[in-house]
Amino acid sequence: MNNIITTQNLTKYYGSLLAVDHISMNIEEGEIFGFLGPNGAGKTTTIRMLVGLTTPNEGTATIKGYDIQKDIVKVKSCVGVVPETSNLYNELTVWENLRFMSGMYHVPRNERDHRITSLLKTFGLADRARAKFGGLSKGLKRRATIAAALIHRPDILFLDEPTSGLDVMSARSLRQFLKDLRETGVTVFLTTHYIEEADLLCDRIAIIVKGQIIAMDTPNNLKANVHGTSIIEVVFTSPVKTLNLEELQAYGSIEVKDNTLRIQVTDVLKSLKAVTRFADDHGLKVVYMNTVKPSLEDAFVKLTGVESEVMLMEKERRGGGA
Amino acid sequence: MMSSRRLLREAKVAWAIGVKDIRIYYASPPSLMFGILFPFSMFLSFVIGRNMPFAHAIPILIAQTLFFASSSIGPITIPLERRMQTFDRFLSAPVSLWTVLLGKTFAGFIYGIGISVIPIVIGAVFFGSQVSDPLALVVGMILSAFAFAAMGIMFASLPGQGPGQIMMPFNFVRIPLLFISGVFIPIKDLPYWGQTASMFSPLTHTIELVRAGLGGENFFGPLINVSVLTIYFTVFVFVGIRFHIINQKRE
Repeated sequence: MNNIITTQNLTKYYGSLLAVDHISMNIEEGEIFGFLGPNGAGKTTTIRMLVGLTTPNEGTATIKGYDIQKDIVKVKSCVGVVPETSNLYNELTVWENLRFMSGMYHVPRNERDHRITSLLKTFGLADRARAKFGGLSKGLKRRATIAAALIHRPDILFLDEPTSGLDVMSARSLRQFLKDLRETGVTVFLTTHYIEEADLLCDRIAIIVKGQIIAMDTPNNLKANVHGTSIIEVVFTSPVKTLNLEELQAYGSIEVKDNTLRIQVTDVLKSLKAVTRFADDHGLKVVYMNTVKPSLEDAFVKLTGVESEVMLMEKERRGGGA
Repeated sequence: MMSSRRLLREAKVAWAIGVKDIRIYYASPPSLMFGILFPFSMFLSFVIGRNMPFAHAIPILIAQTLFFASSSIGPITIPLERRMQTFDRFLSAPVSLWTVLLGKTFAGFIYGIGISVIPIVIGAVFFGSQVSDPLALVVGMILSAFAFAAMGIMFASLPGQGPGQIMMPFNFVRIPLLFISGVFIPIKDLPYWGQTASMFSPLTHTIELVRAGLGGENFFGPLINVSVLTIYFTVFVFVGIRFHIINQKRE
């Protein structure tokens, strides 16, 4: 496989703040590559540098062999960009927006209508072609924005939080579409804060924290990173939050949510005995007990020290979405 | 050097951006307020109650509408598009920043020309004003509309997420220009320092050329008027693009 995106020590400062810290990576042609990290980690800034929306302070990057600083117009010709906010013109219809974008990307005049019709059909927007973009639902806006990014048939599609704010069905169909797109040879570079989404969708994932890539591998290899540990999940009949968990903490890190206790352990047998002893001592009844393999979320938490729920709540607070 | 094919492609994109701006922003409340209501109300507050034939005031109205209308489109569209993040669409498309700003200048140019035709028609129909030098009028209007549209684009590079944040400092420049440009006091009646200052105001040369076109007197001469407006257009375009590039680097 060829590397379609290559970065070498790519760096961006905002004043004295180091937003992206000397990141180097290679992205292969035809893969779905995910950028995963908490807010302010530098995900969006990296995309903005790669697509020419902002200039790096240090380092280099090439896309399809074109330097992002010297050949930016050529770079822009072969990439499609879907920002976190669906940013077509509210005052124009879906058709007019796509028509305008086809002009911006120099799509031959005689092909424009055909491409627009085909994209509208693919994204289930054929019956909304004459509707004003501003009047569409979040999900339809997202679809129209992705359709606009594909009007010039790019080799690489950049998506910043593609399913943020979408309902379950829309997010699911979008994920399926991205998988289908990969089958046509398009490389997909996406950022997401949904760990499960990254696991389901991406061929490779880079975890970025404070501007630095701290891990980059396939989802399976990242999960193997927490190898040697297992998770014991126990559901009790009553909440355990108020109880003294000190005796269990000796067996591994603990996560408590209502009636559920999750302990990341190395010795399963010893830990199971400790849990049953804990239940007896506190008069708790066990509803369910299971040992599970670490998920990508566990790998993420181990690598970053950031709980995924905290990351999601932070995202919601800052109001991300289409 | 840009090939002629690429030049044509860029020109087509600039045209498409201009037409899109015309469709979306011409009838928007800030455009109507800053581009039409503002110059007309300022003009009326100036002429009503003064012992001045209305026909004599028509060149002032034409120049003022050209000035305010052309220069308002950039400071309205660019901050709005920055806020809605649609400006990023241009920046991520395979076109140069020159093309984007040229398209926006074109939208301001058409707006200024379109609005300033209204006082010409009013003057001709109701007050009997006649065009005695069409060349001076047409050249004056075209050059002025381009220069003021480019001036607006230059100010639109100021950081701000709404038209109000750009219009406020912009009006600190636009309104004082009215006092030294022969709008309220004829240039020949100004003291020497006032005449020197008026020489450096682009609005002076718009009024001068429009006046010459409608048979009025000209203080500096058409050659100076055309030269100054051309220099201003060039300076506004180059400084504007420089500021927008600096902005992009900061983002």
